[in-house]
Amino acid sequence: MFLKLAWLNIWRNKRRTLITIASVFFAVLLAITFRSVTDGVYENMIHNVVSYSSGYLQIHKKGYWDEQSIDNSFEANEQLNQRLLSNPKVTQLMPRLETFALSSFGDKTKGVLVLGIDPASEKMVNQLDEKVIEGGYFQSENDNAVLVGSGLAEQLNVKVNDTLILIGQGYHASSAAGKFNIIGILKLGSPELNGNVIYMPLRTAQNLHGAENRLTSLSIMLSKTSDLEGSKNAVESTIDTDAYEVMTWKQMMPEMDQFIEADSAGHYIIIIVLYIIISFGLFGTLLMMTFERNREFGILIAIGMKKRLLAFVVLLESIMISLIGCFMGILGGILLVRLFTEYPIQFSGSLQEVYEEYGFEPIIYFSGHPRIFINQTLIVLVLAILLALYPGYKVIRLRPVEAINS
Amino acid sequence: MKKTIIDAHNVSKTYNEKMIPVKALQDVHLHIEEGEFVALVGPSGSGKSTLLNMIGGLDEPSSGTVFVDGVEITKLPENKLIDFRLENIGFVFQSFNLIPVLTSKENIGFVLQLQKVPKKDREKRVLELLQEVGLAEKINSRPGELSGGQQQRVAVARALASKPKIILADEPTANLDSKSAANLLDIMAKLNKEEKITFLFSTHDQRVIEKARRVITLVDGKVDSDIVQTPT
Ligand SMILES: Nc1ncnc2c1ncn2[C@@H]1O[C@H](COP(=O)(O)OP(=O)(O)OP(=O)(O)O)[C@@H](O)[C@H]1O
Ligand SMILES: [Mg+2]
Repeated sequence: MFLKLAWLNIWRNKRRTLITIASVFFAVLLAITFRSVTDGVYENMIHNVVSYSSGYLQIHKKGYWDEQSIDNSFEANEQLNQRLLSNPKVTQLMPRLETFALSSFGDKTKGVLVLGIDPASEKMVNQLDEKVIEGGYFQSENDNAVLVGSGLAEQLNVKVNDTLILIGQGYHASSAAGKFNIIGILKLGSPELNGNVIYMPLRTAQNLHGAENRLTSLSIMLSKTSDLEGSKNAVESTIDTDAYEVMTWKQMMPEMDQFIEADSAGHYIIIIVLYIIISFGLFGTLLMMTFERNREFGILIAIGMKKRLLAFVVLLESIMISLIGCFMGILGGILLVRLFTEYPIQFSGSLQEVYEEYGFEPIIYFSGHPRIFINQTLIVLVLAILLALYPGYKVIRLRPVEAINS
Repeated sequence: MKKTIIDAHNVSKTYNEKMIPVKALQDVHLHIEEGEFVALVGPSGSGKSTLLNMIGGLDEPSSGTVFVDGVEITKLPENKLIDFRLENIGFVFQSFNLIPVLTSKENIGFVLQLQKVPKKDREKRVLELLQEVGLAEKINSRPGELSGGQQQRVAVARALASKPKIILADEPTANLDSKSAANLLDIMAKLNKEEKITFLFSTHDQRVIEKARRVITLVDGKVDSDIVQTPT
């Protein structure tokens, strides 16, 4: 029955209820939006970086990471690919054969990273074809052709249609040497990669190294919001971990992980300030509510309602209102994040250039990670309930005479 | 012999408002017997509300003792006092007595719920009470939908709900027109006669005073006169 009184208070006092629900609603919406944007920026950055480099996860032959040699390569396996792709979180696979070689053109020589790639999947995952600033992209998977990073092209003084000589070590100490037609120059976001890298189709690379059908790594792309460790475990359970190793991007690029950790620490201050603002907003509403009902509380106590019971009913009311507000806030948050995912906010001006320079889309990306919705809503709910203890405290301290005369 | 229902000894109350003490009550003695119908009168600030609050246990005297139905309420701890009020004392305040979100039925039923009266008995009693104050047809109206006089009548019905021994009413007619005021007094007088409930009410209204059988006048926090009269 006291549940009923609380419910009636909520239901019949629409103005007060709406104001309170609205303040909880906006609190949840604000917290979700903020978190969605800050996490979204990182998720997007990680996604962009790993799509060029390691992928979210990588499968190697066991021991490859400690000794990165073509001798530690493994045989491509279509069955394995199918098994991996049957996991709904896995979006793409990128098979690669990665080696070091000496490149030379005319009298210039330089050590380079040779990436044998599947032209079609790289095009899909990281739009490698769009990074070509001169010439064109690979036409088929066994073109005898290479793409050269623009920094490297400058150092070697090569142009499109020049012929580049590569000399390296092949599989099982065979020698690897060949002449390749430069079909395009790439401009990549990372300056380091730009000055070092040569791409060639996977087949071509395998032929060059006498490593028929072999890979040094199989990169796995996941959807942006999937759980990295969980996905790693899922992959490990589908393969023979005595023969293969699975690594996450965090293991392969610890510097980036540390950078993100350090950078996001700053956000904690902002989010704490945000919670303080939210708390004040909620508190103001609760204060107004309590003040408005002081007389009512006084009368209830005068006619014989125990203070503790009244405090409980008031708390119950706040909890019910907060739950409604949180529920609406989470719905609103989902809609808002959806909306901005469908119709992203574009950067403009110099910020746009910086983003494009580094190969990022110039948009504000909103993360839709379920964790954000759940955590932020729970935090606001806990805040609301903690703050709702105050009206309860006021009831316990209430002096009925003063309340009735107010 | 009649039984003493309210017995106040040497009750004093001093408010310390902004360091200047205000003596709202000074050594008040008061005896009221079961079934009396008493008006408490006196100029504004003479201490009427203060005295009613002391008797109802809503506030504590600075010194002195108050017995209600033989219980020394000035000694009861807060929770016991609240229970005592629930069982023994009905209150009617000047205005806005009712819980705005509840209907007449719910407002009255609330007291019965606090007393843990089963639902079936509750409904019957609520209807009886509303009939007694002549508002059976307003059973599902909320306070905002009732006139001031009707609200006060519902408040009287609520005060009655717990079958208290006394009803304390602080200027129950102050916000009513004379017709509603007379109507409310008639209802109170009838309840006093038929149910033997003791009424103690403060008022400024001459026509209300005339309906009382005993009139106690306070002046400057002291009992100035105590007259038994024949009501008109
Ligand atoms: N909470 C309080 N704090 C300080 N002084 C108070 C308080 N309540 C009452 N008083 C003072 O005590 C005295 C008696 O007040 P009380 O309200 O009992 O008078 P009253 O007879 O009911 O007056 P009225 O007819 O105007 O209702 C007044 O001087 C008043 O100013
Ligand atoms: Mg008064």
